[in-house]
Amino acid sequence: MRILFWSHIQNARDSLRSNRGRSTLTMLGITIGVASVTAILALSGGASQIVSNQVDSLGGNIAVVRPGTQPSSNIDRLTQLQSPQQFASSTLTTNDLDSIERIEGVEGVAPLSLLSGAVSGDTTAPAGTTIVATTATLEQVNQLSIQEGQFLEPRITLPAAVIGAQLSIDIFGTEQSIGKTIQLRGEAFTVIGILKRANMPINYNGVDFDRSVIISREDSELIASSAPQIQQINIRSTSVETLAGVIVEINKALLRNHLGEADFVVLSGEEIAQPTSELFAVIAGVTAAIAAISLLVGGIGVMNIMLVNVAERTREIGIRKAVGASNGDIVWQFLIESLALSIGGGVAGYALGYGAAFGLSFLLPFEPLFSLEIAAFAIALSIVVGVIFGLYPAYRAARKDPISALRQYD
Amino acid sequence: MSTAKTPPVIVLSQLYKRFGLGDAEHCAIDGIDLTIKKGEFIAIMGPSGCGKTTLLNILGLLDSDIEGSYELNGVPVATMSRRRQARIRSKQIGFVFQSFNLVSRLTVIENVALPLTYKGLRKVQRLERASDMLKTFHLNEREYYYPHQLSGGQTQRVAIARALVNEPSIILADEPTGNLDSRASHIIMEELSDLHKRGNTIIMVTHNPRLTTYASRVITMIDGTIESDTQKKRRTKKAARKRPLSGKKKLSKKATT
Repeated sequence: MRILFWSHIQNARDSLRSNRGRSTLTMLGITIGVASVTAILALSGGASQIVSNQVDSLGGNIAVVRPGTQPSSNIDRLTQLQSPQQFASSTLTTNDLDSIERIEGVEGVAPLSLLSGAVSGDTTAPAGTTIVATTATLEQVNQLSIQEGQFLEPRITLPAAVIGAQLSIDIFGTEQSIGKTIQLRGEAFTVIGILKRANMPINYNGVDFDRSVIISREDSELIASSAPQIQQINIRSTSVETLAGVIVEINKALLRNHLGEADFVVLSGEEIAQPTSELFAVIAGVTAAIAAISLLVGGIGVMNIMLVNVAERTREIGIRKAVGASNGDIVWQFLIESLALSIGGGVAGYALGYGAAFGLSFLLPFEPLFSLEIAAFAIALSIVVGVIFGLYPAYRAARKDPISALRQYD
Repeated sequence: MSTAKTPPVIVLSQLYKRFGLGDAEHCAIDGIDLTIKKGEFIAIMGPSGCGKTTLLNILGLLDSDIEGSYELNGVPVATMSRRRQARIRSKQIGFVFQSFNLVSRLTVIENVALPLTYKGLRKVQRLERASDMLKTFHLNEREYYYPHQLSGGQTQRVAIARALVNEPSIILADEPTGNLDSRASHIIMEELSDLHKRGNTIIMVTHNPRLTTYASRVITMIDGTIESDTQKKRRTKKAARKRPLSGKKKLSKKATT
C-alpha cells in the first residue's frame, strides 16, 4: 500500500507536469484563496497580540480595576466594548485608591482619569489628544520611560505636564520642548518631561501615550471643576506570585467601600486584553469566511480540471483496470492528483499570504503574527479542499466500466 | 492428450450475457458450457458480433454482470469481491488487445512496468523486471521510446511483454494480430506459441483462420453459442472428428500456400 502511494505520487507529478499550464492555473485558484485567508489570519493575529503582548511585557504582575460590571456573555462583551473615556460617571473613588494602596503586596497604584479639552502649544494639538490625570506612581506601574526631563513628582507645585513625543512634534514642531508652556483648556502648564516613543496606539489603558498629556490629579482641578473621575486603576504587585492574593484583597476592600455592590471589576493578565482580542478574532473570523469563498471557487476549479483529466484518461483507466488496478487504486490515483494540486496551491498561497501580510503591515501599526496554527490551518484547508473537490472526479473515474473505457480511442 | 489429466482452470456452465432491455434485449452469450484446462492454447473463431470479445472480457473478469456460473481455478467468480477480482487480474491474467492499449503518455518500459505497480513492487524492481521482459522480446533498445514512436509489430510485442510481466497463468489475447501485417503477425504468433510451450494457458480471439494452426484447440462461435469445438468433437463423437480436423488441415494447407 505504501509503495502504491509513492507510485501514485510519481504518477500525479508526471501527469500534472504534462499539463503544466493547466495545472498552474488550477493551483492559482487555490493559491489566491489560501493566500487571502492566511493574510487575514496573520494580520488579525498580529493585531490581537498587541494588547496581550503589552500585558505580558509588563511582567505579569499587573491588575486593573475598572468601573461597572463586566458583561457575562461574549456577544455582550463585544457589542458593549467601550473605551474608558466613555464611562462618564465612574464608580471608582479616591477612597478606593487609598484602600488599595494599603493592601499588602501592592507595590504601586496609579489611577487613570481621562479629560477632554483643547491642548495647544505653538499650534493647536490634533483632535483626540487626551489629557490624563494621574499620580507620580504611573511611571513605575506602567513602566513609562522618559526621553528627556522628568516625570510628575508630588513636590512640583507649579502646574506641570509630561507630554508624548509625537504630541511634542505636533504642537511645537520638535521633541525638545522642555520648559515650554502648553495651554490645557486655557490654563498654562509647563512641560517638564517628554515620554519616549512607545508606538503602542492600542493598549489596555485606552490611551496613546505618544499623543497625550499627563498631569497630576491636583493640577487637574485647575481645569476641571472637581476631582476628576477615575476611569481605571492600574495596580502593580510586588511579584507575580502575590498578584492572585492582591486581587482577592482588592475585591474585598472595594466591596466594603461600595457597600457590597459589585459595580467594579478587577482584571489581570489575559482578561485585560480579552475584549480587544475577542473583537479582533470575530472580525478576522468573518473576513476569513468571506475570503474562503474564493477558496471555494478555487476548489470548483480543481474539480473541473480533475473531471477533464478523468475524461481525457478514460482509456488509461480501462488499461489500468485490465492490468489489475482495483477501484480503490483508481480513486487514490485521482484523489492524490487533486491533492497535489490543492496542496501545491496551498503552500504557494501560504507564502503569498505572508508576503501580502508583510506588505500591508507597513501601513498598519502592527506586524503579522507567525504561528504554527496558521500554517497548519492553511495546509489543512487546502487538504480539505483537495479531498472534497477531488473525491467526486476520483469516484467517477473508479466507476468507469473497463470494457467501454478501453473502447474509447484517444 | 496431456491436458485431460490437468485440472480445469476455467469452467463455464450455462453462461448468459444480456445487453439491453425489453424489446432491445440481445443475448451476446447465449448459454455456453466450456471447460478450459491448464496449458491449452485456444483459438476462438467466429464472425463479428458473435460474442467472442464479450466472452473474453468475461473470462478476464472485466465483465462480471453475467448469468450462469463461471469458476476460475475452482472458485465461483460471483462470490468474489471486486477487489479480489482486481487482484486476480493483477496476478493471474494477462491481456493483449487488438488496439495494443498502451498508455500513450508513458514510455515503453513504464508501460511494461505498469501491472507491477498494482502488485506492490518498488519502482526500481518494477523497471528491472520490465527491462528483463523487454529483453526477451528484443526491445531493450526501445525502452525509453514512446508508444507512438514504435511500429505496429513492436507495439504489440510491448503489449505482450506487459501482459507477461506479472507471470500470469492465463493470457487472454483479443485479435492480437488484427492490426498487423502478415510478417509482424507471424512474429507475434511465434511469441504466443512459445509461451504456450512454456506451459501458459492462452485464449485467443481471432477471425483469421490461418492463426488457428498455432492453437491446440479451436472453438467456433456463432450468435453467442459454441458451434464447434475441436476437442469436444474428438472426445465425444469419434466418428465426426474428421470434419473439424479435415477443416483444420485444409486451413493449414491454405496457410502454408
